[in-house]
Formats: sequence, C-alpha cells, structure tokens
Amino acid sequence: MRQQYARRTQLVMVLISLISLGIIVQMVRIQTSPAAAILKQRGDEFQTEWRTFFPDRGEIYDRTGHLLAGNKSAYEIGVNLNIVQDPEAILAAAASVDLDLDYAEALDAIQNPPENRTFVVIADYVDQEKGLKLQALKDADDGRFGDLTGLEFNLHPMRSYPEKDLASNIIGFVSHGRRGYFGIEEKYDILLAGAPVQMLVPVDPNLASDIEHVPDGTTLILTINRDLQAAAEDILDESLDKYGAQNGTIAIMDPQNGELLAIASHERMDLNEFWNYGSIYDNASDYSRAISTPYEPGSVLKILTMAAALDSGTVTPGTTYLDTGSIMVGGAVIRNWDQGAWGVQDMTGCLQHSLNVCMATLSTSMGAGTFYNYMDKFGLGHLTGVDLAGEAAGRLKFPGDTDWYLVDLGTNSFGQGVAATPIQIMMAASAIANDGRTVTPHAVYAMVRDGRQYNVPAQFAGSPISEQTADTLSEMLAVSVSSEGSLAQVPGYRLAGKTGTAQIPVNGFYDDEATNASFIGWGPVDDPKFMIYVWLERPEVSTWGSETAAPVFAEMAEKTIILLDIPPDNIRQQFAVK
Amino acid sequence: MNIQNVNHLVHAYKVAPWRIQRQWIGAALLAVVALVMVATLYLDVTSQAAIAGREIQVLTAQIAEGQRISADLQTQLASLTSASVMEQRALDLGFRPMKSSDAEYLVVPGYYEPKPEILSSASRPQLSALTIPPEYNESLLDWVDEKIATSSRGRK
Repeated sequence: MRQQYARRTQLVMVLISLISLGIIVQMVRIQTSPAAAILKQRGDEFQTEWRTFFPDRGEIYDRTGHLLAGNKSAYEIGVNLNIVQDPEAILAAAASVDLDLDYAEALDAIQNPPENRTFVVIADYVDQEKGLKLQALKDADDGRFGDLTGLEFNLHPMRSYPEKDLASNIIGFVSHGRRGYFGIEEKYDILLAGAPVQMLVPVDPNLASDIEHVPDGTTLILTINRDLQAAAEDILDESLDKYGAQNGTIAIMDPQNGELLAIASHERMDLNEFWNYGSIYDNASDYSRAISTPYEPGSVLKILTMAAALDSGTVTPGTTYLDTGSIMVGGAVIRNWDQGAWGVQDMTGCLQHSLNVCMATLSTSMGAGTFYNYMDKFGLGHLTGVDLAGEAAGRLKFPGDTDWYLVDLGTNSFGQGVAATPIQIMMAASAIANDGRTVTPHAVYAMVRDGRQYNVPAQFAGSPISEQTADTLSEMLAVSVSSEGSLAQVPGYRLAGKTGTAQIPVNGFYDDEATNASFIGWGPVDDPKFMIYVWLERPEVSTWGSETAAPVFAEMAEKTIILLDIPPDNIRQQFAVK
Repeated sequence: MNIQNVNHLVHAYKVAPWRIQRQWIGAALLAVVALVMVATLYLDVTSQAAIAGREIQVLTAQIAEGQRISADLQTQLASLTSASVMEQRALDLGFRPMKSSDAEYLVVPGYYEPKPEILSSASRPQLSALTIPPEYNESLLDWVDEKIATSSRGRK
C-alpha cells in the first residue's frame, strides 16, 4: 500500500514536472519568437512619444521696465471626430460666444474630414474670455444647444502687446506662424523665439525620466523710453494736423552712445491685430520710415558739408565769401532758397541763413574727391547697422558712377540729389555732437537669458572729423538756433541744430509746390543728452522747415528735457561748480 | 556519537521516508517564500517609482500652468498700466502735463542718475532641470548590479 502510494506520488510529480517543463519551454519559445519582438517593439512605441517643446518667446521691455511685448494664453478649439455626436450643436454653441466661424465651412470640415484625421480645429487663437465661456457651456451640459461631446480645448501661448500701437514701428509683430516681422521682433527673431527641443517623453509613469530643461527665449530690454515714445507720437500726430503734413517721423537718440530713445511714425498699427497690416501700409518701407525710407533731406545735410570743409581746412568759421546769389556748377546754375544774394557772409552766417550757393562753393572748393570721401566716412549710402529689421541704405552717387554728373557735387552739398534715411543722418551728425566720433544707433539696451543680463555696449562707427572740428561746428550751429526768430529754441537750454527744406523728386523732376521739411538738433550743446530728428512730409501750412519742423523740434526737445530730467544750463553749471 | 547511534538514525529514516520528503517540501517552500518576498519588494519599489513618476508629471504640468498664469497676469497688468491708460487716469485725477518752467531742481548729495538695471520681472529664475534620483528610475536588478559593481570597484 505504501509502495503503491509512493509510486502514485512519483507519477504525479513526474507529470507536474513535465507540465512545468512544457510551460517553461513554451515561455522561452514565445519570448524568443519573431512575434514577441514585434510585440515588444509595439509596447515600447506606446511607452514613449516624441514631443516638441517650444520655449516661451522672450519678452520685450522698455528701458524703464514696462512690458512692450509679452505672452498670454489663447485657446485652440476643435472637435474630436472619434466621439463627436452632434456637430451642429457644437457650432451653435461656438456661434453663441462669437467665435467668428464660417458655419458651412466648419460643418463641412467636421462631417467630411480628410482621411485619417481624428481632430478638426474649428478656431484658434481664441481669447480666454470666449474660450472660458464656451468651456462653461460644455461643462454645464444642460442640453441647451444639444450634445457637445467631442468639443475640446487646448491652451497655448500667443504674443500680446499691452501698449497696442505704441512703438509698433519699433517692436514689429509675431504672426500665428511664430515668425517675427519688422522691427525688433524680426531682427531678433531667433533669440526671442529660443530653440525648440524635441525629446522622447515617457507616457508610462513607470518610466519616469529627466525632462530636459527648455530655456525660454531671450528677453530684450530696449533703449526706448516708453513715456518719451508716447510723447513723440502725440506730438507728431498733432504736428501733422497742425501743419497739414501727409506723413512724418520723429526720432530721438542719445548721441553719446547711439541709444534710440524714441522713433515715432505717423502710421501705426495695433500689434495685437497684425492681420490689419495690409490695410494700413502700402509698402514694407512705410512701416518704419525713419529707417526704411530714404529721401532727399535737403539743408540738414549742410552740416556735413560744413564739417567736411572745416575738417579739411578748406575754411574756418571766420572765412568770408561774397554771396552773389548764384553759382554755376557742372553747367547748371545753383541759387539760394530765396533766389537772393546775401553779400559777404562768414561760415556761421552761411549756416544760419542756409545758403545753397555757399555750400556749393565749399564742395567745389574741396573738390569731388575730398567731399565724397567725407560723405562716405559719414556713412551716407551705407547701412548704419541699426538693430531694427528693414533698414535701407539710401543712395550717394560717386564720381565714376554712370548717373553722376558734376552738378551733383553742387546739389549734394545742400542735400539734393542724395537719398538718406533719418537714422543715417542722425548717425552722421552724431560725430558733430560727440567729439568727432559717429555712434551706431541701436534699440536694444540689454539681453536677459537664464537670469543673466548682457548689456549691449555702445559701438563707435568711426571718426570722420576731429574733435576740434566737431566742437567748432556745434558752436556755429548753436549760434544758428539761438538767433532771433528761430522757432527751434527752448528757453534755458543751448541747443544746436539745422533746418532742412527739400524739394521732392517726382518722375524725374522736382515738385514745384511740395517739400519735405526737416530739422536735426541736439542739446545741451556742452553735454548732449539727446538728438532729435523731425521729418514732415509735404506740409501744407508752410513749405519751409524753419516754420514747421523747427517748432516741432522745440516742442519735442522740451518734452525730452522734462522726461529725461535735464536741468537748464545755468542749473547744471551750478551743480558742476558744487 | 558511535557507529551504533548512526546506524540507529539511518534505520529510523529508512522506516520513515516522509521525513526526507518533508525536508524537500520545506526547502521548496522556503524558496517559494523567498521568491515571494523578493517579488513583493520589487513590486513595492516599482509601484513607488510609478507613483513618483506620476507625481513628477503632475508637478511638471502644474509648473507649466503656473508659468502660464503668471505670464497672463503680467500681460494683464501691463495692459492696465499702459501709457495711454495711465495718461487718461492722470488727466481724470486732475493732473496736467508738466512744462519745463514748472520744474525745480535741487542738489541731492549722493544722488546718482538712475540707469536701467536688471529688471526683476525679466530676470526671474528659470526653472532648473529636474534631477530624478536613481532610486526612481532603476530596477531592482539595476540596483543589485550597481551594488555589485560598487563593491567590486571598492575591493580593487
């Protein structure tokens, strides 16, 4: 009996062993089969997924810490085609919160989606207020519109411009395609956008892994002063109304380091509604005329001619000449702005009365080689390198160019026949205000990334004239501004400057009736803190820069003095003594 | 112990073979218990790792949400304090634009003109990369392997 029991036990054990062995063999076979490899591969595929992480776009601040461009959340609203029950109910609910949908188009997209599509976006970049309203309708689930199953929401960042159209011509904008257009947004697009990172992210929480740090885009601090920018835009708009000008620009720069403090353009756009760009601007060059639109600046260029003449030793401030009212250059007669003869004049009087004949005399005395060499060193015809997108180089013809004629030597000396942007003229004039050194204009003060700030240093572009020439010419220009009758004066402050009234070429001939009125000035003369350029296009009240652009300069200078806390000259001198 | 005693024990086992079987069963059970303990430990560690991983995902989402809300509020604040809004508020409160003749200047010893410095809001510390301790992503076998490797390195 006991033996029989033992045999049965052994038999059962053998059977169990055989079954176990069979299971093990089968396990090994399954594990090593080709199907197992495919199964494992599929499992691995569902454990992780590739995701692209877009960094938050860097913010843009003005120099006083006011946010000019930031990010805010917007809704992408769509329909999950796998679970949608009642597309018409969804569209009715969307219409109730003014999603601005094309009903027929959206319904067609839901009912006849492209193959393999499981999600259809019906609206994107929807502001939070509307998105939240629609989400509340879905959450309420009260059947008011029907079954809203399948309506889904996805929050994502979008660009926001709290100041709307303020400084729009400097900032530029970002499209829905995350690309920057114009101004800072385009020039620094790569820095602001940051680098998107694609990484394998575990979906299975058991596979917790390090999520790579995606640094935000670089934040930029501009040299722009928000309050000064707002003041410049207000003054420009009022001036256009007052003088009946078609368009205009006011640019303000620190001539000692090239920091742009404000650039006002008349045509501005709310950057939050960038899609209106096409209806506001006819050409891309209209977006920021101070850097993109070259024009014949007229008499403001005389300061460069005089600088060249003084620096080359052709004349001194006391040099006199007899103004007969005309001069023949290259077979053409050049006359003064009033067609009159001004008799004996020294160089200060020459500038003060803005005499074309005097300037043509200087340029011809210097000779084309010397004159154009100076103009080239001042940067005319070259890009300034300003860190704003869309800069134009203008045009300065040189002897040897097919379209250069000897008469150009005469007309170029008083700013006709040469095209330059306001920013180019400011850069050139900065040599006079800044002891002979030109500064490169720039709009970015600093860059901030990962908590570190890099301050952009001032860049000097060259020294076209000596310090002595610069000081001498500044004094001469200060005398011009302080002369009786000048509308560019600001009481208590000694400023240097020059008006410009330029004829406008139309189809190869100069317009007899319309002019471009300009003024460039800076101050205080002994320690310049600002340089202001005013350009009014086709003013109707008066064609003369001295009667239109000059008073606008004075108004802008007074506002600048207040906002930059610049004390009057006598107070500053008292401070210096103490 | 003499030979007689040994023979007595051998005889006793021969007449009672269930004792040997019990020993085998005991050994097998011991092995099973050991395996169950190891499996339980492994399951515990794995489940803890999974919970921690899930928490990390939730926290990461919360951080992103916090940053999003912060950016929204910052933009909202900037809109409420924009130049045009502030100007209108000032006018409504009875202020008027200042003229240069209104300004009075005083000498303040030790005062220096303010320069743009690091903006606190712009230089907020960035979220540093998450560093997950190895306990959260290594398996028991990895841990054993690491320990063996560490001890062998220590002996060398």
